[in-house]
Amino acid sequence: MSVAEIEAVDLQLEGAPSGLWREAWSRLRRNPVAIIGFCLVAFFALIALLAPLIAPYSPIDQIGFSQCTVSGCPGPSSAHWLGLDLNGRDELSRIIYGARYSLLIGFVSAGSGLSIGLVLGSIAGYAGGIIDTIIMRCMDIMLAIPGLLLAIGIVAMLGRGLWQIMVAVGVTNVPIFARLLRGSVLVQREQDFVLAARAVGVRRRGILFSHILPNAISPVIVQGTLAMATAIIDVAGLGFLGLGPTDIATPEWGSMLTQVNEYLQSAPILAIAPGVAIVLSVLGFNLIGDGLREALDPKLRGRV
Amino acid sequence: MLRFIVRRLLLLVPILLGLSILVFGWIRALPGSPAQTLLGERATPQLVAEVRHQYGLDKPLPIQYWDYVKTVGSGNLGTSITTFRPVSYEIRHRFPATFELALGAMVFAIGLGIPLGFFAAKKYGSLFDQTSLVGSLIGISIPIFFLGLILKYIFAVRLHWLPSIGREDILATRAHPTGFFVLDAIIGLDPGGLWDAIRHLILPSIALGSIPLAIVTRITRASVLDVQHEDYVRTARAKGLPPNEVDRRHVLRNALLPISTIIGLQTGLLLSGAVLTETVFAWPGIGSWLTAAIPNRDYPVLQGGILFVAIVFVLVNLIVDISYAIINPRIRLS
Repeated sequence: MSVAEIEAVDLQLEGAPSGLWREAWSRLRRNPVAIIGFCLVAFFALIALLAPLIAPYSPIDQIGFSQCTVSGCPGPSSAHWLGLDLNGRDELSRIIYGARYSLLIGFVSAGSGLSIGLVLGSIAGYAGGIIDTIIMRCMDIMLAIPGLLLAIGIVAMLGRGLWQIMVAVGVTNVPIFARLLRGSVLVQREQDFVLAARAVGVRRRGILFSHILPNAISPVIVQGTLAMATAIIDVAGLGFLGLGPTDIATPEWGSMLTQVNEYLQSAPILAIAPGVAIVLSVLGFNLIGDGLREALDPKLRGRV
Repeated sequence: MLRFIVRRLLLLVPILLGLSILVFGWIRALPGSPAQTLLGERATPQLVAEVRHQYGLDKPLPIQYWDYVKTVGSGNLGTSITTFRPVSYEIRHRFPATFELALGAMVFAIGLGIPLGFFAAKKYGSLFDQTSLVGSLIGISIPIFFLGLILKYIFAVRLHWLPSIGREDILATRAHPTGFFVLDAIIGLDPGGLWDAIRHLILPSIALGSIPLAIVTRITRASVLDVQHEDYVRTARAKGLPPNEVDRRHVLRNALLPISTIIGLQTGLLLSGAVLTETVFAWPGIGSWLTAAIPNRDYPVLQGGILFVAIVFVLVNLIVDISYAIINPRIRLS
């Protein structure tokens, strides 16, 4: 067998070179932790989508108010699995509808923070010079205020409410993504394939969108999943502090916890139920984020 | 080294300048004019104009900003519109509470996180390692305020082991010269007071320290795993140093370097978390004070408090950067 033939056999054995994403996907599929994360998130997404079908009662109507006494409302029973809240509303239905609010708010705020951060970070990283300095100094200033306090400041400015919370949590995410993407773009900008693209006359915008960003995006995806987790916690935190939806009947998990702080002794289930819902949904995103980080880690590439 | 410190200090100037502009702009963007807020229902156009003039609100914005910088620079952060006490006075009395709580949380996180991470790495792949990994993921997934509520329910409401709110017994009449209750009890040689202060500190510290604990555990585990395979560790082993000695002198010491940066990064998290922890445990610190200011629209408090916390955050990070450079010569030479 000639050397060329041996090489040809070797090449065949290696098979077609698989892309980063395909490799990452196959690693992710084999990671039990990530699978649990996917299941948790899918579970809550389904609950949120199907809320009107699966919730036994309305989340807002005070159906059991007549059963409530001065000492509180009845606890779990066969009619109300998680009991009634302090205003005689069915707790289970509120938790189910709460999934809609928490996932939506988390998604919108993490998503908006990600998109704005993405734009600012890629401009800063690719343009460099004075534009880079101005953008990044602004980001540094935003990072100088602890996240929750920045969010509180923004809610104080805009007034309380669902949209206001989304904006507040979104804004706190912007500098994190901007920094991350800038760092990533800076690394990619110096790569040979970018130089090659520039040499054959690809426009600046073309280079940024078709060569730099696709390669710089993987840490952003990991961070995006983790940001979803933090966003759900932050939104619940703002709700807990009383900055949540203006209509206090809105079944938002964090706001549901505020009202029970003083009733822990008589109705612990009212604190445990929304809390566990928050923990499980956040854990779902954290598990996926962790799995993604391992799957996309270039150091682990090739070890499918 | 001096050049490094000077450079870091100079970098502080644009940050502080930007912060002051941000906070100044934020006050101007708040709903309702300050004159209206001050006058309440008595506001007539004439009175509003008078108050606007009195507070310099009719001057051009750059001049207003300069006035603002001058007032804040002289340490005057305004007066709370609910308690009528100067904001700087409140900060002086409340900051020790927050600082003590943050310190308690850090002691809990580092004291438990480093050994946990170290043993998880030593027993890599074992059940203990897996449990610590999953445990730390659950740790970062629990909202501080929920953990606080649960701890309070179990250890205070059900078991009566620990107090649920405040910094000391409600009937206590001890003097607190420094404001740090643990320190005060030690200075005053008061074992009863020390025990009381520590008992009150335990639950809030655990709640606030849970996320840092998870992070410290993970980072320690990762860096011990990295360091274990370094050449100098192999050399130390090869020359016959007992395993415990290698761990102590070579592995742990080098693995702890990243931990010091984590402490800086965690400060922001601790300050944010303090807002929630203090609300759950009625801890009389900066956090619960800021939270109470929101529904009252006590803007001087919010403005002064947020500016103060931001400055503390920036300074802590500066100190951490500098101390990191002292420990690790590679940083300051680069």
